[in-house]
Amino acid sequence: MSSKANLDVLSRQVAYSGEGISVKSLETDIQKERTIQDNKVDELKVLRERNVSIQNAMAEELKKLRKFSDYLDGTAVKGGFWAGFKEVLSFIPGLGSMSMSQRSIEELLKAQYQVSARRVKEAAEYVDTLKQSEQDLYKEIDRINVRIVEMAKNEREALHYVLELKQVQEQLEGEEQAVEAGSVEQRDIQANIDKVRAKLAEHSSNVLLYGSAEERYARLKENTRKLADTIRNLAQDIQQYTTASSIKLDMASAQIQAIGRAADASTVMLEMKRSLDVMTESMNVTTQFVSDTQIFFRSNLDELVKELDTFDEKTSSVLEENLRKSKEIEDARIQAAVDKAVKRAAAPAAPASSPSGT
Amino acid sequence: MTVVALHTQALVLPEAATYLDLLGRSLHAARLSNAFPERRPLQQSLETLAESLRLGLHGELFVDSRAGLPNLASFTRALTDKSVARESLARMGDRAALEARAGEAEVFARLAAKHGYYEKLQDRELAPVDHQRVLLRRHDPASGTAAFRIELTKLDASGVYLRLGIELTQVSSLWRRKVIDLAHDGETAAASEAFGAMVYRCADLDAEALFMRLHGVEGVSVEKVQRGVIGPVLFAMPVGSGVQVMRTAEAPDDALGREWHAWSVGAGAAEHERPELLAAFATDSAALDIREERSNDPLSPLLRDRLRDQEQARYRALRERYPFKVFKDRKFVATPGLKAVAHATCAAAGTKNMIYALG
Repeated sequence: MSSKANLDVLSRQVAYSGEGISVKSLETDIQKERTIQDNKVDELKVLRERNVSIQNAMAEELKKLRKFSDYLDGTAVKGGFWAGFKEVLSFIPGLGSMSMSQRSIEELLKAQYQVSARRVKEAAEYVDTLKQSEQDLYKEIDRINVRIVEMAKNEREALHYVLELKQVQEQLEGEEQAVEAGSVEQRDIQANIDKVRAKLAEHSSNVLLYGSAEERYARLKENTRKLADTIRNLAQDIQQYTTASSIKLDMASAQIQAIGRAADASTVMLEMKRSLDVMTESMNVTTQFVSDTQIFFRSNLDELVKELDTFDEKTSSVLEENLRKSKEIEDARIQAAVDKAVKRAAAPAAPASSPSGT
Repeated sequence: MTVVALHTQALVLPEAATYLDLLGRSLHAARLSNAFPERRPLQQSLETLAESLRLGLHGELFVDSRAGLPNLASFTRALTDKSVARESLARMGDRAALEARAGEAEVFARLAAKHGYYEKLQDRELAPVDHQRVLLRRHDPASGTAAFRIELTKLDASGVYLRLGIELTQVSSLWRRKVIDLAHDGETAAASEAFGAMVYRCADLDAEALFMRLHGVEGVSVEKVQRGVIGPVLFAMPVGSGVQVMRTAEAPDDALGREWHAWSVGAGAAEHERPELLAAFATDSAALDIREERSNDPLSPLLRDRLRDQEQARYRALRERYPFKVFKDRKFVATPGLKAVAHATCAAAGTKNMIYALG
């Protein structure tokens, strides 16, 4: 007797896309994506350290400029204006041991101007680095999205197939009831049922794996997007601050020269203060930026890293849960088979199944 | 008016590129001697500025509105770019990889361009904002004398770019307060801080005044003071369709400035299509070996010719204490439209000057 169930289902190749999936391959893939994220986080950590050093340098320069400004403002302390001014000059690297009369103020201010311009430029250079990182992450999101869609499709395929198999299994089980116990037909039906079960085991595992992979990739994407957003916001902040500082410096250059020259001629001290204020403003803007980004890092990056750690834990627990469930199913299946085998062995042989009956 | 800050004029593309091209070519046409700041670094700075504008790395070019030359911000910009180039290149990675991703996002195309810019910049020698060095000319340990040449290249606060060369001899018996320190090897030297600063501060004085100032320093015998000054530069750049013209905004108030102003409201007012540029290159020397004292600079007559009668006697007495003579000269490089301005300036002063054509 031929089965009414559609046994073609058993020989059909399920159209999963990608290279197939296993707990190990899924872990490897996820780890690859995580490594990319980790690298970006490392880049941000380096940037944070760099920001700290820039901030320190800026703070020093600001201190010098403010001192200039204070002394020119007539707020010099004991020793009078020139003694104070001499003290100010001692803040300039390499000039600690030199007296006021030995240096040209114009030359000093120009040198300070160039140092300040270099600091702003150094900070501005990070904008491009950050934008590059941001684009790398968006590309990564695109890749993850492809994986998410792929996993979702595969899960759907697996589910459809499992349902089909279930249907065939039920039909076969119905047919089994209708044939004589122990008969060839029954044995044939049972053989097919075993095949269906094997397929069910395989593809029900796929349902779980693809479902889990989809969720995990989705979480990975969420974190990657968060990282990209962090980087984009930081780049925008740096760009805003450095552009403002750079404009201030561009506009102050002629004043710096004019005031330096005037100071060399021991004239127009108030003008000198005014010009220095412009330069100080530029340094203020930049220092503010560095300070802000540090706070930004402290409050965001650490949190982000913490979240990623949490994500690690979640990923591991999901994997463990998947493995545990798979094992449970397999155990249950094996146990059922064993139960059945035991039951069969314990029961007296039915006439229909007796060799003498044929 | 295009002045955006004190003595600062902003030029954008395409006028800025035309201006930089004409200025660069004018340096070549001027056949500058070693009395002037070195031409090659200056030209490389101009090329760097042009390239940074062309690539969109900077939006505008800042020019000193009196001298018509790139100002401190512009000079510093090129130097700063060079100073960060190496580190930035290391962060950017491979240029081919950036070019391959150019279609992916704007940042990669920009970085690829910037990569090329920084690579070129690494090998360039750029014009310094300030640079002072001391060269040993002769050293005679037996007599205790040493002859030096001090060279200062400076972007002056007046906006012009100049080189000051001073040749002097220092006598060792007076080295208690020596102005130049000779290294132990007897081959290298450096000016003392105070002397170096004095030279720096006095760089905008004319050679005659500087000679007298330095000659008075204890233990020093000055032989020659020479200044080579690039600028002022006067320009007129058609803007857009040529309806407007961008000009040097604060031309000097001297004979050249007046001729320039007359041209701007006269023949130059109708010139809306062709960019024009006139650059002046002056030398001013005070030296023991100059035979005849005279000025061939239409913008700077000798001091004696500017003094009133009652000051002449005092001046002559002062000069008799110093054996040097003064010679001043100036040459021009001009596009066809502005050649007449140079000619008129020289004719008015009765000087005969080289006027090189800039095509």
